[in-house]
Amino acid sequence: MNSAHFTSGMGEHAVVITRVAERQWHAVEDDRVVGRGDASRRPDGRIFLSIDAWHGVVFDQLAAAMLPDLPKPLYTVVDEADLDLTSNWERAGFTTRRREWEYLVPTDPRVTGLGSVLPPSGMTIVAVGEAEEGPLGKLDREIRDEVEATVGWQEMPAEVLPRLDGATLLDPSKYAVAAQSDKYVGLVRVAPVTRQPRIGLIAVRSNQHRRGIARALLAHVLGSLHRCGIETASAEVNESNGAAMALFEGVGARRASSNLELVLR
Amino acid sequence: MARTADGIEVEGTVVECLRNATFKVELQNGHKVLAHISGKIRKNYIKILPYDRVLVELSPYDLTRGRILFRYRT
Repeated sequence: MNSAHFTSGMGEHAVVITRVAERQWHAVEDDRVVGRGDASRRPDGRIFLSIDAWHGVVFDQLAAAMLPDLPKPLYTVVDEADLDLTSNWERAGFTTRRREWEYLVPTDPRVTGLGSVLPPSGMTIVAVGEAEEGPLGKLDREIRDEVEATVGWQEMPAEVLPRLDGATLLDPSKYAVAAQSDKYVGLVRVAPVTRQPRIGLIAVRSNQHRRGIARALLAHVLGSLHRCGIETASAEVNESNGAAMALFEGVGARRASSNLELVLR
Repeated sequence: MARTADGIEVEGTVVECLRNATFKVELQNGHKVLAHISGKIRKNYIKILPYDRVLVELSPYDLTRGRILFRYRT
């Protein structure tokens, strides 16, 4: 693979940047890897980069080797509190595309106020793990199409689950759904991360909005987690999604951190 | 502790999440280091929490600094 030599290493030796695989770069100083760059394609087709280097100089050298070889636009994600890393990417020409807030969501009904929340009349909540895979997959496809026809999945937080040939891989053990007669109309996905589960997606069919279904789904999963002894869950929300922010802040969720999605066009 | 061409890698336990996107990690030998998370962990939205067991790569320039490469399943 191709290499680029830089004489301004951090130590006495020159840093050599080498493309070691199609989407991987190494910065080597004195036979030691002192930096790594990686490019990976998300299921939505976008290329996300990461660069790990101990010093900004080596970061810049990796970026200089990587960026000309990759098709634009390119994306990356940074913790907004990581000022050094954010400025490294900005030096390479990246700008902020959007912000995601990470919320810590309490589960205690005395805090959330969701203890008495019930689904709308004629609707039931199917507990996590009890949804049927076929109707769940159908609902997932319908919601994906609705999102894609409006804001698009690129505006949704962390949509990194793989899709094969347009089909969705669904694990019913991670979903609770809202059902009306024999049809599913809303879902919530909960990743069972130890100690702090993550609410990965909460969505309702567009013709069922403003009926309190998302709130009922949230009441169900948070109540279930609380009964298991879990005090908080996490959720990421796009800053432009006012309805989702209002939903979580309305149950006492607080902002813990924020991630920036940066883009180089 | 393993020293490879990729650097010095050692297991540890996260003891504290600090405000500036860093973590205090206690290594198996009892030493504590300040560590960032690797780009791959960040890209994949893997959350690091206190008590997580992690694999840390130590900086060759400053052995009190590190980078979290991997979070073990608990």
